[in-house]
Amino acid sequence: MLILALWETAYRVIGWKPWLFPAPSHVLDALLGLMNIHTGFGEPISAHWPRVILEPGQHVRLLSPWWGSPLMKAILVSGVRLLEGFAISVALGAILGLLMWRFIELDRFLGPLLLGLQTLPSVCWVPLAILTLGINEWGILFVLIMGSFSAIALVLRDGLRNIPPLYPRAGMMMGARGWRLYYYVLLPASLPALASSLRTGFSFAWRSLMGAELIFVVDKWRGLGFLLEAGREFSDVAQVVAVMIVMVVIGMLADRWLFAIVQRRVQTRFGLAT
Amino acid sequence: MRANLVSIKAIEPTPSEDDALPQLHADQRIANASGDGSSGRGRLVLKNVSKNFPGSTVHALRDVDLVCDPGEFVVVVGPSGCGKSTLLNMAAGMIKPDNGTVSLDNQPIRAPGPERAMVFQDHGLFPWLTAAQNIEFGLKMAGVPRSDRAARVDAALKLVHLAPKRDLLIHELSGGMRQRVAIARALVMEPAVLLMDEPFAALDAQTRTLLHEQLQELWVRTRKTILFVTHSVGEAVRLADRIIVLHAHPGRIRREIKVDLAHPRNFDSADITQLVRTVRKEIEDEVNRVNAEMAETYWKPQAPGDLGADPGVMGDGI
Repeated sequence: MLILALWETAYRVIGWKPWLFPAPSHVLDALLGLMNIHTGFGEPISAHWPRVILEPGQHVRLLSPWWGSPLMKAILVSGVRLLEGFAISVALGAILGLLMWRFIELDRFLGPLLLGLQTLPSVCWVPLAILTLGINEWGILFVLIMGSFSAIALVLRDGLRNIPPLYPRAGMMMGARGWRLYYYVLLPASLPALASSLRTGFSFAWRSLMGAELIFVVDKWRGLGFLLEAGREFSDVAQVVAVMIVMVVIGMLADRWLFAIVQRRVQTRFGLAT
Repeated sequence: MRANLVSIKAIEPTPSEDDALPQLHADQRIANASGDGSSGRGRLVLKNVSKNFPGSTVHALRDVDLVCDPGEFVVVVGPSGCGKSTLLNMAAGMIKPDNGTVSLDNQPIRAPGPERAMVFQDHGLFPWLTAAQNIEFGLKMAGVPRSDRAARVDAALKLVHLAPKRDLLIHELSGGMRQRVAIARALVMEPAVLLMDEPFAALDAQTRTLLHEQLQELWVRTRKTILFVTHSVGEAVRLADRIIVLHAHPGRIRREIKVDLAHPRNFDSADITQLVRTVRKEIEDEVNRVNAEMAETYWKPQAPGDLGADPGVMGDGI
């Protein structure tokens, strides 16, 4: 709040150019505008500001319901893409992580490769995806999966390696064999590893998706990245900042409210949490 | 009289030593293990067993013969690295011997199984299950119907005096309670043999004493064959019918000491003290022997004469 207040004050006192960097009030206007709620908190940026003319004495004007607004549609589109891509990515990463844990030779071969892939920024997959798969949904999903599956595989592998060998030994002693050993002992024992790999994987997936959407413009489905890019095209700095904030907030909410809580619960169960 | 209470036999494996049974105090006399044989189950035989781990020049175990009779409490002691854990893991079926055979009631042992339940030093309980669920696990794997399981788990919990803690998670239990759950988890499967790998080594002294008492009580009640590995002489003397002192590098049986004192034992009695002294002496000799051997091959303290060398030439030859 303090930072926002200082930011706004600085803007009003110094009077820097609003088309280079917006004030919080502009960002708020843009954010609400994307949700079909038109307000005029900020100083006029240009002749077209606010984009919807408010009548004298009117502060808020609703054009259409907020749930049909561009922002909500974009969040929905991005969310669906994320779920699809993340699910594939988790499946792929989990299988690879499991195999790499089980077969050390495979790990010697794949481990460094995956580590290399992980260091490659996911946006670097975009050109390849465009040329190979074309500008469509598959291209976006491809970038998302390539950006996150290696992290999931590596974190899962490391977590599985940290399962105390005493657990499978105790399981065998009690007569758990074959698939039962996997299902009743190794699977639950790997839950902490699984939780942290999902958490890491999610943040990788989210970042990759935003990067991919920025460049891929699939006309029918406009995600958050598209809104960001659209803001740039219309030189609407306020919208750019507003969409960035939305991205950060969604990523944070998913991490804090979903994955952190799952991880916390697993760790509490295992007595690992402090 | 006192000397008679403890009969100590030399290493040579002579199975027929019943004639050497000493006189016991009448009030201390409790059915001897070998005489009980309530089930006749649980005869663990290691015959001529050798094990050499890859990359090691000395045998972890060489030509070890050990027979645990049904209902007998055998404790294996020895300096670290003498192969006690290897011995136990072989009985459990976790390690295969290079030579020789390990069998239980004439069945050769090939893999770990519930008839040879093991209690680990670090309990090895599953943290994602409650105490009761941990105990239930073996029954579930054995395909015992759900309705029978509950009763048996309750009985096992009562046996180790943990009935009120049944729904706690493992990390919510104290170290001593965890070991008791581990013991209950082993006993509930009604194993023929109970294998215990330094189960009380990580506990504080008071808890350990308490658990010794409880283990003796349990053993007197259930009469399981127990093969118990420890490095604590006090523990060995307190619990054992027979103490096996191992010899390190290569691992073999150095000496067998039969303890014919009644259970439960009073730790302050003079007989125990004397026996502790004997066993400790045996182990000290073994440790000294091992150290002397190591010193010859690896390291010798430098002659003190070096310390008086002329400081002016310090660093020569670096």
